[in-house]
Amino acid sequence: MVRVRLEKVTKRFGRVVALNEVTLEIKDGLFTALLGPSGSGKTTMLYLIAGIYKPSSGRIYFDEEDVTELPPNERNVGLVFQNYALYPHMKVYDNIAFPLRLRKVPPEKIDEKIHEVAKMLHIEELLDRYPSQLSGGQQQRVALARAIVKEPTVLLLDEPLSNLDALLRLTIRTELKRLQKDLGITAIYVTHDQAEALSMADEIVVIDKGHVQQIGSPDDIYYRPRNLFVATFIGSPPSNIVYAKVENLGGGIACITIAKARYCFEDSRAERLVHMKLQEVIVAFRPENARLSYEPRSDMLSIPAEVYMVETLGRENIVTLTIGAASVKVVTRPDERPPIGDKLYILIEPQHVMLFDPKTELNIDYIETPPLT
Amino acid sequence: MSLLARLRLRRRGGVIREELRDVETIPRRRLSLVLALAVGLASLPMVLVYLLLVLSSFSNRPGMLGLEEVLATEYSLRPWIDFFEGRVAPAAGKIYDFTYILTVIANTAIVAAGVTLVVVFTSVLAGYAFSRMSFQGRGLLMQLILLLHAFPGVALIIAVYAIYAWSIKALPKDFRDFYAMVYVIFARAALEIPMSIWLMKGFFDKIPWEVEWSAIIDGASRFQAWWKIVLPQVKPGIAALAIFAFLAGWEDFIYVWVFLKPRDIPTLATFIETQVRDLETAYFPVIAAAGTLYLIPTILFFILTQKLLLETYSGGLKA
Repeated sequence: MVRVRLEKVTKRFGRVVALNEVTLEIKDGLFTALLGPSGSGKTTMLYLIAGIYKPSSGRIYFDEEDVTELPPNERNVGLVFQNYALYPHMKVYDNIAFPLRLRKVPPEKIDEKIHEVAKMLHIEELLDRYPSQLSGGQQQRVALARAIVKEPTVLLLDEPLSNLDALLRLTIRTELKRLQKDLGITAIYVTHDQAEALSMADEIVVIDKGHVQQIGSPDDIYYRPRNLFVATFIGSPPSNIVYAKVENLGGGIACITIAKARYCFEDSRAERLVHMKLQEVIVAFRPENARLSYEPRSDMLSIPAEVYMVETLGRENIVTLTIGAASVKVVTRPDERPPIGDKLYILIEPQHVMLFDPKTELNIDYIETPPLT
Repeated sequence: MSLLARLRLRRRGGVIREELRDVETIPRRRLSLVLALAVGLASLPMVLVYLLLVLSSFSNRPGMLGLEEVLATEYSLRPWIDFFEGRVAPAAGKIYDFTYILTVIANTAIVAAGVTLVVVFTSVLAGYAFSRMSFQGRGLLMQLILLLHAFPGVALIIAVYAIYAWSIKALPKDFRDFYAMVYVIFARAALEIPMSIWLMKGFFDKIPWEVEWSAIIDGASRFQAWWKIVLPQVKPGIAALAIFAFLAGWEDFIYVWVFLKPRDIPTLATFIETQVRDLETAYFPVIAAAGTLYLIPTILFFILTQKLLLETYSGGLKA
C-alpha cells in the first residue's frame, strides 16, 4: 500500500510524445482510474508505473522511494493486462504460484496462499485447469488472483473488463471495487469507459494527448469539469456546447446571448466574465440538466431551438435540437416526445450552466481571479 | 437431382424451397474421402517402391524385388544379419565387420545429432532476438538471411571446401578427423539455420509481449521469463526444428561425401553409395537392408509428428 507520485514524467516514442511533463499523486489505498480516449497516454502511464517503460525524463516515487531506475521485477506491483496474459502452458494453480515460486516461498505456504486467493475470487474449482479451458471471465479472475497473491504494493489494471461481455462487466465491476476495498490496496485502473471510471473509482485522472486534464472525484469530474475536453468527454451523451456573446452591463452584471436569447449573471461568474474581458464564451450544459418548454423563463437560460429528432430509449428519450447551425441533445422523461420541427425553448438553471474561455478552453470557475475590492 | 435440372425447375416454377441448400454445406466427410483417395492414388507408386525396398531387405533373391516376384519369394532375416556382420558383397570381396557397420551408423547419428544441436541452439536464440529485440540492421539482416536460405547448398560447396582445405592444413594429423566431423556438422547446420531462424521467429512472434512482461512483473528476470515462460510455449517449434535438422544431417550426402570422404569416415549415405556404385557385384538384399535402416528415422519422424508438422506449416500454434 503506497502512494504513487509522478514528477514531470515525460515519455517519448521516437518523435511521438506519449506523456508530457505529467505530475500527479495517486493516493494510498484508493481506487484511481486513468481515464482517456485511446491514444491518450493512459496505458503508457500505467506501464511507466509498472516499470515496463522507462520515462524519458522525470521521476516516479512509491511513497518516498524513487523507483524510476528500478526494473519491474523489483517494484512489487501486480498488473492485470487487457488480454490477461496468462501462461498458457501452466495450469491455473501454477499460474498463480509463479510469482511466489520466484520468491522461493516454501511450497506449503504457496499452497495456503493460493487457496486463500482462489476462495476470495471463487476460482477454487478451476485450479486444475489450463487457461485455454476457461471462459473470459474466469481467465480474468485468474489474472487477478495472480496479481494479488504476491501482495503487491500497487495493483495495476489495464482495461481488465474490456474483453468481457456487457452483463459480466457489470458484475465484475462491483466485485472488483469490493475486492479493492477489502484489501485496502492502492489500485490504478486504466479505462476508456467513463461509466466504469465513474462507477468504480474514488478518484479519476482524465488524460488526453499526453496531458492530465483533471484530477478529482467522480463528482468533481462530472459536475465541475476543469476544461472543455473533460466536459465533452464525460457523460453519455456528453455535454452540449454553444457559443455565446458576452456583454458587460457594468455594476457586476454580465449577460450572455445565444441565438437572441439573453441571460444575465449577477454572481461571481459575472465578475469573472468581466474580469477576463471575454467577448465570447463557450456555454456547456449536460443533456440531463436541461428541460424543454414552449415558454421561456426569465430565471433560467432559455435558448430557442427546433426539434430535429427524438430517440426513445425506454427509461428516457434523447431529443436532438438545432440552435442555429449547432446541434444539441436533451434528455427528457419517457412521455415527453415533442414532434419533429417544433420550435421550443431549452431551459437550463443557471447553476447547471458551465462557462469556458474559448481560447484556453478552461472552465472560468477554475480561473484564479484577484480578490475583489 | 442435378444442378442443371434444379436450375431449370427454378426458372420454370420460381423457388422450390426443398431444393435449396444452405450456403457452404458441401458434406465435409465426403470431400475428405475424395481427397484421401486422390492423395492415396497419387502416392501409390512411391509407397510401392518403398515397400519393395523393405521387402527386398528380407528376400533371398540377388536383385531388387519386382512386383511379380513378391509372392514367389522366401523371406528371412538373413540379409539384415549379413549387413550387420559386414558381409556386404562377398562376391566382390567387400567384407567388413560388425564394429565397422556400427561405426558407420554411429557416424551418421553423430552428424545428425550435431547438426540438430547447432541448428536448435542458434536458431532459438537468433529467432528470439529477431522477434523481440530492436537493434541496428535488424531488417537488413533478416532479408539477408532469407537470401541465404534461397541459396542452394551445392552452389556454396566450392567456397566452403576452399576454407576447409585451407584450414585443415594448419592442424596436426591426428586431429584432422575430428576437425572434419565438426566442420561438416557446422557447414551442414549453416544451410538449415536461415530457414530455422525464420521459423523460430514466427513462433516467438505469436507470443504476446504481455505474457513476457507479466512474468517480469511477477518477479522474473528477463532470462527467467524467457526460459520459464516463453520457451515452453515454442516447444512445438523447437521440436519441428530439431526434426528437420536431424533429418537433414542424417540424410545428407553431398557435404558428408565431400568433407568426410567415404573411405575415411563413412556415414550410411556414403556407405550405401559406395556399395551400389558397383552394380554388377552388389548383393541387393543387404544393400536394401542398409537402405531401409537409412530410411527408418525419416519414416518414423513423419508418422509420429504429422500433427506437429501440420501446425508448423500452417504456422499455427494452439494455446
